[in-house]
Order: sequence, then C-alpha cells, then structure tokens
Amino acid sequence: MKLLANILGLALAAAPTFVACGAAASLALGSKSLSAGSAAVTPCGGLTSLSATWHVDNAGNVTHVNVGGIPAACSGETLSVTLVGSGNASLGSATATLGGCGATCSATFSSFGTVSAANVAGYSFGVAG
Amino acid sequence: MTMRRLGILVGVTLGLGCSAAFAATLSVGTGHLWAGSQTLTKATCTVTGGTDTYSDEKTSADNSVSTTLSEQPDSTKRQWIFLRFDLSSCNIPTTGGADSATLTLFESSAPRTNRTLSLAPVLATWPANLPFATAQALTYGTSTASVATGTANNTALAVTVTADVDSFVKSPATNFGWRISDGSAQATQDQAIFNSSEAAANKPQLVINYEK
Repeated sequence: MKLLANILGLALAAAPTFVACGAAASLALGSKSLSAGSAAVTPCGGLTSLSATWHVDNAGNVTHVNVGGIPAACSGETLSVTLVGSGNASLGSATATLGGCGATCSATFSSFGTVSAANVAGYSFGVAG
Repeated sequence: MTMRRLGILVGVTLGLGCSAAFAATLSVGTGHLWAGSQTLTKATCTVTGGTDTYSDEKTSADNSVSTTLSEQPDSTKRQWIFLRFDLSSCNIPTTGGADSATLTLFESSAPRTNRTLSLAPVLATWPANLPFATAQALTYGTSTASVATGTANNTALAVTVTADVDSFVKSPATNFGWRISDGSAQATQDQAIFNSSEAAANKPQLVINYEK
C-alpha cells in the first residue's frame, strides 16, 4: 500500500512536466519554450514568370485579360491578376481558379470594372495553392 | 506486482507526454506560392496613307489610283470606301494591344445634310480594283465605329477605331481594313468625298497608342 502511494506520488510529481508541454502547444504567454520549423514554399510547376494580354472596347476600356502559358502543375490553384497604374496603384483585380488545363493552363479575367487601358502600366500576379 | 504497476504507470505517463510533445510541434504546410509582375511599355505609332479605293455601283472604273474616296448611299449609285493600313511598320508584337486608335479622314467635300458613316471590318482580302459586285460579295464584321460627316467642306474627321485596331494588332492576319458606308441604300443623298492615300496632302492617317 505504501509502495502504491509512492508510485502515485511519483506520477503526480511527473504530471506538471507534461502539463508544461501542453501549455507550450497552445503558445500561451509565459510559455517557457518554443520551437519553430520551416518548409520551402515553391511555385507550382517551377513557375518563374507570367505575361498577360488585354483586350479593349472601342472606348479603350479593358474588356478582359488573358493569361496563358501557365504550367499544368498549377491546375487547381488560384491565380490573381491586378491591373497596376502609375505609382503602383491598383486599378482593378480579379481572381480565378485554374482548371481545364492541357499542356498548359490559361485563364480569362473580365471583372475589373471600367479601367482605361491607357492608365494601365502593368500587371501583378499571384498564384497560391 | 507493484513493479509491474509502476512500469505501466510510467509508460502511460510518458505516452501522454509524448503526445503532448507532438502536439507542441508546429507543422508548416508545403503549399505553393508565387508572385510576379509584368511592366508594359507604351508607345505611339502613326501610319499615314494605306491601301484604299472605292467601289461604285454605277461604273466599273478602277478607283484605286484616284486621289479621292467617295461615299454615297443612293440606291443604284452606291459608293463604298475601302481602306486598309499596314501595321507592320509599327512593330507591335501580337502580345501587345491598342490603348486607343484614331483614324483621321480629310473630308474635302461634305454632303449638304449630315450623315453617319459606319466602318465595318472587312473579313477577307479585296483587290485594288474593286467592282461593286465584288464588294457586295465580301463578308464584313460587326461595325464598332462610326463618324458623322457634318456639312462643312475641308474638315478632318476623327474616328475612334480602338477595338478593331486592337484586334488587328493581336491577329495581323485578320487585318483587311474597313468598308466605310451608310449601310443601307437610301434615296437622293449626295456624296461625302475624302482625300485618298494618293492625294498630295491630308492622306488618311491612323494613330495608335499601344502597349507591349
């Protein structure tokens, strides 16, 4: 009986150690330890660049933007396109999920609102998945 | 027996502790992420003079060498203008596009009453000598541009043709120029006469503000 009490005491003494581990898991303030890890975040299909072409109406406003030549490995990922004006101002953005890919993927964006092509200085792209 | 209980207890306690330790490890997802940009180059190209003629329902004369281009809608005397600019000198890649494009026609003789002329893209090649029957047999795209003749002589008329030129830039093989006409035959109108590319001055001119 005495031995059993000692064992129980030992277990109770050890418990705070593991409770401390649990506290670290929740990253609460006052945690005594913290670990961090890292993993490489790479572009899909070795993507290094994209180029787009726009189409305009007779008033010179962008009607839609085509982005092609996207690696097929990017299928299912999300492509965002922003029309950029002077001073890197955003003139309009659109997002699409890449799909229906053959050898490469392509996407057409048409929801930029009314943007004059004359004001567009470039594009910004983002691909995430 | 007691030692066995001790072993079990230590084992269970360590097991729970290890679980807690695993939970404490923050795993980082291995998703994909890429960001990039493309900067556009803006420029202007001006093309003065092109290939032009007009088809005359009344005669079969070769008007490609005329210094004027005539348009009139009168039934059985219709005259349609055909005009094409070669954009190759602009060196705009097919990945580029038009921000704006303006066609300027010099109207040497205006009709007595204002008319609206439509520019329809021609969808096939046409010969320099273009009889009216041949012109009628050609196919045309949807017109996106028009211009009012006004009633004043010797006036430069500017026509916005951005959509068509943007299409020509992206697909040069589809550039067969435009037909300029009233669209439908009417009665008792008079001519609108413009300078052609063979004129000494004030030739048709296309100014393209483009990006590439």
